[in-house]
Amino acid sequence: MKIIQANGGVLTNFEVLSFLRSRGVTVDPMGCLGAVAPSECKVFDYLVHTAACTQTRESINEFMKQSEKFKLAKAEKLNLINMRPSNSAETYSIIEQCDERMGEGIEELVKVVVGILPPPQPQPTEQEDEADG
Amino acid sequence: MFCLSVIQHDLRYRPTCLASLFIRLLEGSLNVISNLGLCVSVYDIQSVEGGFIFPGDGASTYKVVFRLVMFRPFVGEVLIGKLEASSESGLKVSLGFFNDIHIPRHLLQQPCTLGKDGVWTWDYSGSLLSLDIDEQIRFRVSNIKYPPIPVRQEEDAKPFAPMEITGDIYGDGLGLVSWWEE
Repeated sequence: MKIIQANGGVLTNFEVLSFLRSRGVTVDPMGCLGAVAPSECKVFDYLVHTAACTQTRESINEFMKQSEKFKLAKAEKLNLINMRPSNSAETYSIIEQCDERMGEGIEELVKVVVGILPPPQPQPTEQEDEADG
Repeated sequence: MFCLSVIQHDLRYRPTCLASLFIRLLEGSLNVISNLGLCVSVYDIQSVEGGFIFPGDGASTYKVVFRLVMFRPFVGEVLIGKLEASSESGLKVSLGFFNDIHIPRHLLQQPCTLGKDGVWTWDYSGSLLSLDIDEQIRFRVSNIKYPPIPVRQEEDAKPFAPMEITGDIYGDGLGLVSWWEE
């Protein structure tokens, strides 16, 4: 085996999730057997519980456009898309030297993230499961 | 946390079904590739050459160039996983598809103390926040290493992990997800 190119491009969680869906991976583990590798099922199961599950190509493109004014590094934009922080504390850990670079501007960045990228699906609570059963 | 890597591999293959070529390429030892990360899936096949049949062999050998989707987070990336175990050395976190994530005690929120039940508790200005098992935890990747395969392992040594991620939860927004929710 020979490595031709170690880093041939970065993928957002949304892109990996879309790719796995196009491969026929589903939430049902029994439905996956045979056609799909176990690694694909496990990664799908993780990504489906993240913000990537409700994202669209259009919302990500719009976020990339609107976030230009904040002069963020590519890695920071990727992390914001994948994590979709909903408040300034969650955003703080993603932006390097946040206080010096963003200052009060972090609130505006949070507004852009929350306004453009859809929230992740709420996880069903135990009470809701019992009510359905 | 994912990227594409371009790989060339000699594949000995009986061409009965092209659809299974994807699975075939992932079989065998293509799980963790040193310095590249954890293989998730074959993204696409860029070229297939050859089809030579070597003497004494019943199948053809193809030179296949393909792109793999690799799990390889960058240093500084923030991820969310599940807190699986807690001990004196620190925390063990899992993503489901990858479990070798360790947050050493000196990279926890400070000050943190270890309880008798093995659970760490963060003293946040007087509020005691415990790092409970099975909770969602947000951590930052501080290092990734690919240890060489040991020639010999002690009987009670922990299982060999070909890829190990060290994380930290030292800073605003890090630690249990529930701590920072509004």
